[in-house]
Amino acid sequence: MTSNAPAPLSSGASWIVMKFGGTSVATLPRWQNIRELVASRRAEGARVLVVVSALTGITDALKQMCAQEDKGKRIEAAKAIAQRHYDLLGHMQLAVPETLGARLAELAKLAEEGPAMLGELAWAALVQAHGELMSSALGAAFLTHSGLSTQWVDARDCLAAVALPNQNERTKLLSAMVEAKPDPSLNARLSQQGEVFITQGFIARESQGRTVLLGRGGSDTSASYFGALLKAQRVEIWTDVAGMFTANPRQVQGARLLQKLDYEEAQEIASTGAKVLHPRCLSPLREPRVPMLIKDTNRPELEGTVIGPEVREHAPSVKAISARKGLTLVSMESVGMWQQVGFLADVFSHFKQHGLSVDLIGSAETNVTVSLDPTENLLDSDAVAALASDLAKVCRVKIIAPCAAITLVGRGMRSMLHTLSGVLAEFGQLRVHLISQSSNNLNLTFVVDESVVDELVPRLHEMLVAAGALRTDDSALFGPSWQTLYGSGETVAAGDAWWRTQCRDQLLALGEQATPRYVYHLPTVRKQARELKTLASVDRLHYAVKANTHPAILRALAEEGFGFECVSPGELKAVMATVPESAPLLFTPNFAPREDYVWALSTRATVSLDSLYPLEHWGEVFRGREIVLRVDLGRGLGHHEKVRTGGSGSKFGLPVEHVDAFLRLADAHGVTVRGLHAHLGSGILDDKHWGEVYNQLASLAERIGSVAFLDIGGGLGVPSHPGEAQLDIAALEEVLRKVKGAYPHYQLWMEPGRYLVADAGVLITRVTQQKGKGSWRYLGVDTGMNSLIRPALYDAWHEIVNLTRLDEPATALYQVVGPICESGDVIGSDRRLPEAKEGDVMLIAQAGAYGKVMSSPYNLRDEAEEIIIE
Amino acid sequence: MTNPIQPRLTQVFRFVRCSYADGVAELVYAFDQGEELIERVRFPAAPAVPAENKHAFEAALKLLHLIAGVSYYKAGVPPKIELADGPLDDCTANLLDALYLHGLAEFAYRNGLDLRGRIAFPRSSEGRGEGDTLAKALHLPKRTLVPIGGGKDSLVAVEAIKQIGGEATAVWVGNSPLIAACAERTGLPTLNIQRELAPGLFELNRLGAWNGHIPVTAVNSAILAVAAILYGYDSIAFANERSASAATLEYEGQQVNHQWSKGYAFEQMLSEWLHTHVAVDLDYCSLLRPYSELAITRAFAKLTPYFDAFSSCNRNFKILGPKPADRWCGQCPKCHFVFLALAPFLPKPRLLGIFGRNLLDDETQAAGFDALLEYHDHKPFECVGEGAEARAAMYALSQRPEWQEDALIARFRSEILPQLDVAGLALEPWLQPSSEHRVPARLQAALAVIG
Repeated sequence: MTSNAPAPLSSGASWIVMKFGGTSVATLPRWQNIRELVASRRAEGARVLVVVSALTGITDALKQMCAQEDKGKRIEAAKAIAQRHYDLLGHMQLAVPETLGARLAELAKLAEEGPAMLGELAWAALVQAHGELMSSALGAAFLTHSGLSTQWVDARDCLAAVALPNQNERTKLLSAMVEAKPDPSLNARLSQQGEVFITQGFIARESQGRTVLLGRGGSDTSASYFGALLKAQRVEIWTDVAGMFTANPRQVQGARLLQKLDYEEAQEIASTGAKVLHPRCLSPLREPRVPMLIKDTNRPELEGTVIGPEVREHAPSVKAISARKGLTLVSMESVGMWQQVGFLADVFSHFKQHGLSVDLIGSAETNVTVSLDPTENLLDSDAVAALASDLAKVCRVKIIAPCAAITLVGRGMRSMLHTLSGVLAEFGQLRVHLISQSSNNLNLTFVVDESVVDELVPRLHEMLVAAGALRTDDSALFGPSWQTLYGSGETVAAGDAWWRTQCRDQLLALGEQATPRYVYHLPTVRKQARELKTLASVDRLHYAVKANTHPAILRALAEEGFGFECVSPGELKAVMATVPESAPLLFTPNFAPREDYVWALSTRATVSLDSLYPLEHWGEVFRGREIVLRVDLGRGLGHHEKVRTGGSGSKFGLPVEHVDAFLRLADAHGVTVRGLHAHLGSGILDDKHWGEVYNQLASLAERIGSVAFLDIGGGLGVPSHPGEAQLDIAALEEVLRKVKGAYPHYQLWMEPGRYLVADAGVLITRVTQQKGKGSWRYLGVDTGMNSLIRPALYDAWHEIVNLTRLDEPATALYQVVGPICESGDVIGSDRRLPEAKEGDVMLIAQAGAYGKVMSSPYNLRDEAEEIIIE
Repeated sequence: MTNPIQPRLTQVFRFVRCSYADGVAELVYAFDQGEELIERVRFPAAPAVPAENKHAFEAALKLLHLIAGVSYYKAGVPPKIELADGPLDDCTANLLDALYLHGLAEFAYRNGLDLRGRIAFPRSSEGRGEGDTLAKALHLPKRTLVPIGGGKDSLVAVEAIKQIGGEATAVWVGNSPLIAACAERTGLPTLNIQRELAPGLFELNRLGAWNGHIPVTAVNSAILAVAAILYGYDSIAFANERSASAATLEYEGQQVNHQWSKGYAFEQMLSEWLHTHVAVDLDYCSLLRPYSELAITRAFAKLTPYFDAFSSCNRNFKILGPKPADRWCGQCPKCHFVFLALAPFLPKPRLLGIFGRNLLDDETQAAGFDALLEYHDHKPFECVGEGAEARAAMYALSQRPEWQEDALIARFRSEILPQLDVAGLALEPWLQPSSEHRVPARLQAALAVIG
């Protein structure tokens, strides 16, 4: 006993159950960490029950030992397992405690005996239970030795498995259930024994006294059972991540931590994809209303996720989007099912007969479609073929796979439907095989082709946030993004922007003189340019001038050594009038008339073609010339699956299947294809996309001997929301370098636009008036979609600040609108801003790209002036 | 600076010299009086060649020089071929004339060229007897080089040899990560030989060289013959199937076979040439020669551990991602054929998991599958099975309830099947092996394993 031990607890002190998984109990430093955490909970004045898993890898080793028929090898395996524990004890500088010694001896005996005496399953259950029995014995010794007196409790004396109908011997022994209701006598018994306890996850005892296992997610479930039995103050699950997120962080880096959930929501999220918690472990806590807290062992300072009964009044919000892959759908079509008694019962009996379990169900008068989870039975047996044969006797059957279920989870889903129109429109472009919404109103599930999911889920997550359906602005519910907590990329720090810091006063002065004005900050252009120049794999960079053709910007980029990509004679002329002769030029028009090509070929620009027509009809124009071929990798190479139904939904690029025809035409006219070009789209923040395009272009180029360079386009994303990760240029270089290694004989070109200039420009405008309408407040400014059309055209999000009141608290919620007679003239909706006054200077950020160049004289309002800050 | 050469106007293709030192073979060629084109083949951790094997090694290296020249010859297809070493014996000249003519037949067809009468390797007038007498035995170690291609065929061959306890090495030429992943998955020792094309060839391409398909299996075979002598292997077991011998189409009286160098005719010629010029105990064969594509896919369907690693897609991704779309483009004839041929032998959800999509439930793929079935179209130029095999597989699926509602199967049932004679559509005959093969006695037990 140490002298600074906290005061003894009263017999009525409440409990905290803490569960630690296999990696958390495998090393000495981790145990030291556990000790600190347990001591801190004890210091809160609670009794603590620690529930542990087996040391990482031990459960698998025990399973392998069970599968081993050779006695000698079993004994070897038991010895190796014992050694793992001796090694850890060695690090702890502890002798083998008696409790652990007894376990090891028993394990050795079980290895020696084999399954004959107990029966295969009961023996296997008892063998596997030793993982937890040993780790907990070891833990008790360590905690007690380090001054925290800890009692070892055999979980089997506390958790009684119940026999359920439908259970066979295997499920009875290897995935047992416990009915855990608050048990004051257990509470009293343990309270007499001490203050800190340690026990095993994963194991229980059944009515005949045999040891049973709780199956998958067993240790978390044990913790919940104990939480319920002891009616604990809370159950803490300590794991390697801070809790549940709004999406799988591996798919969506911007997924946000969910700080508060109710049991049903959490269970739904766990059932539809989240791996952090097994869905079954929540139900024991629901009735006794014991909250669960998920915490990150390595980052205990993070808030974690609290799951409890309390749902304070919140605006309804989608909480999470998840995806489950590998589904197989069975679609059954028959007029026979209509109003026919027992039809479905007959149909479903076939599923049962072939051992296939049905998950989602969608039905119409003449069609029933169900989903099957990817079980071994489904993948490796004839079950589906046999099922289809049986079903074919009563209906038309179609097997659809591989599919994925995308589920939106949130309490009160139906009341949010109106906010989901954009999201639903996204599904309108896909093959949706089944939609399901349960009567508990917690979810909305779409089953789609699996191949679209990896790209779709991040996009939907973004759309849910943008549409205000996933209310990440509610900081009580939503914590930081995964990227912020665990990511490596830098996030946008709000304080960084040039307009917020060094140029703020200058901008205010400019705004007070006259508005609207675009202001461009050349040092930012140069900074972005230099950043891209660190891409050593890229042999040539072209600025896509359509983003912003201001001569000062063109000159600055020419000085940085950039080439220029132009899409019209007008752009070419503007560039040629400004940049030196030495700057390379590209002419990459789309549906340009014949005379554009004739003229462009009279300049020094490299000309691209992206359809057969020019060579078919104007071949002589190109005779003897070298050109670049722009291809649409589209679906041809397995990408852009979103446009699958639209197929040729984009007007750009030559479809891959026309490449051979193009080459024949080129040959016939003596035209040499010197480069291949593809462009992905824009706003792409994931470095891997360029690697894929590059790789695919290169494999295409190998079929064309004359190709010397590959142009992978631009589209480098610029994050707009605070907290979003920037494109990781170093990672991009790594991706490109790898592809270049495989295809060293091609030069690599890129043509960024927005990346270079977006952050360098702002639009300043002044407040003209306000209007209230119901609960909505409109803030009027002196320009709108005539100057900046991106919010109206692309739903683009631009940060808007009140430059006059930058440091005042943002207490008002405004719709920021312009003076154009269009209901779409909204620059930003639901913006938290300080209370504004007429004449305040407002700043719209990231307006350097596609701002001024897309402005129009609509409504004949004055155009915004452009100002350069050197 | 010399004037840039115009490849299509060249007059002479010259085999300049070949040499070998420290694991690197240098193969040198030139057009007219142009710059030398130097190809290098790198043999990793190469042992010294024992003196008694020197002659055999030199012979194999010379053949490699002659065969690998096809990649360069085709850039200009000049009227004359010159050999710095002097003329060839009849047996060798016959082999090369046949290889250049038939192996480049598709290339010629695509480019509108006629190579007949154009290819004549110089032969010595005094017909040397070497073509008739066997080379001496070298007592090579009883182990097999199994080339791995990343597709299903070589994996079936590997597993068959593993099952009979044969000693083998998985070998491949080039740096495909797909193949490396598959080779590693076999658990066999691996050998990765590097082939560096002459950089000048890319330059020739830029200057407008002829381009197109070359008989790459012949080049790889010659590289492996060198490797067999160098490292000591008594056999090279390719995985070329029966249908590789079938012509893809006939064009102005000439048979055009996309995969001629995978065919039986080339196998026989090369195998005999090795026995007479290199070593009588070096066997060159294809383990899958008796089998149809369908029989091979049936064997492959049992090899679950390879399902997430292999690809037969000819898009030949050099960088692999984790998704099925990173290994299967889903558009090319190979993707179509492998999907169709595997379908009768795998549970549907498993097959769809391999490809990540259902190609037979996608109407836009109709033209591709029609081509496989030889419906409305000739057989595509890819290493795919005969149309009859594709039809048999399609017919089998059309009789399965779990497939028959899929778009292209339904279309087959309503549109194509009525035009076919069902009697010729059975799957079973395709699963019977033929007796035509050159598999040496030591490896014949592996044939039984394949089925």
